[in-house]
Amino acid sequence: MMLLPCPWCGPRNATEFRFVGEAGPRPDPATVTPEQWRHYLYVHANRCGWSTETWYHRAGCRRYLSVERHTLTHEIRTVRDTATGTTSASTATPEAAR
Amino acid sequence: MAESPADAVAAQTAVARSPIAAAVPTVRDGWEVDATVAVGPLTLSDETPLAKVAVRAPFDGAARAALGVRYGRTGRVDIGGDRVLIAGAGPGEWLALGAPGTGSALVASLEELLAGTGEFTSVLDLTHGRALVRLEGAAAPSVLAGVCAIDFSDTVTPDGTALRTSVAAVVTDVVRDDRGTQRSGAAATGAVGVPSFLLHCERSSGQYLADALLEAGAGAGLEVTGFRGLEPSRG
Repeated sequence: MMLLPCPWCGPRNATEFRFVGEAGPRPDPATVTPEQWRHYLYVHANRCGWSTETWYHRAGCRRYLSVERHTLTHEIRTVRDTATGTTSASTATPEAAR
Repeated sequence: MAESPADAVAAQTAVARSPIAAAVPTVRDGWEVDATVAVGPLTLSDETPLAKVAVRAPFDGAARAALGVRYGRTGRVDIGGDRVLIAGAGPGEWLALGAPGTGSALVASLEELLAGTGEFTSVLDLTHGRALVRLEGAAAPSVLAGVCAIDFSDTVTPDGTALRTSVAAVVTDVVRDDRGTQRSGAAATGAVGVPSFLLHCERSSGQYLADALLEAGAGAGLEVTGFRGLEPSRG
């Protein structure tokens, strides 16, 4: 089981979350070209290594989180609430979830 | 248009129904409830008739101070002359539970309470859109362990804990409200009570959640019992 240390709820089973996708800057809709917009929506780096992703805690705090995750080992370095900046270290104790 | 005599009679005799089917239906406080009385120590009761009001506000502002309950905790508060259980199951979200039939009055009282905070708040009566059950007994944490990944032991989730998680794959607010304890104020005893959990979910998932809990607790002797209300939980 993969645990995500939610900054609000503590370590939780990853099944409580929805994976939104790789995090990145959103192009300006006023100036973006259709090609750039498609690239933003559908083309991802999908790298093997550290990646910054957005996850939604649908069965918990209902917040969008920015997660630094190693895609090979599933190690998580930081988790941050995208709205408030509340952070959670990966060293959060796992007692609250099994 | 004026209400016809037939409509007036219908309005007086209308009975609200829980999404959870009652084995022995009877009517109490305008709700169809189960008249079954369990004899065992581990029980599941349908508490859907309780008034359920959702409050949303900044998670740590003046509204939180006015409600007197922080995120992750519960508290019993006097609002509008009634004793209400407030649970902070999400950041900036509170669930207020009151006696059956008090939903509208509770909304009015909460709006009045929060009006002076100067914060953007919303108060919404969810009574007929949600299901609520109470799982009570010493074995309740182990029953929940069968359908939920949270550790419900006393050290991790003590009495007064509120959280939202996935229970049997249903998004559920879990409120630990033990029987036989006084948590705060001059009456605080520190006594350990009987573990008791209120589980609150969308109405359409209520019957499934109750069935899943009964299945998980079958080996531990889980029995269905009738509506108990808020106050019987206090010892």
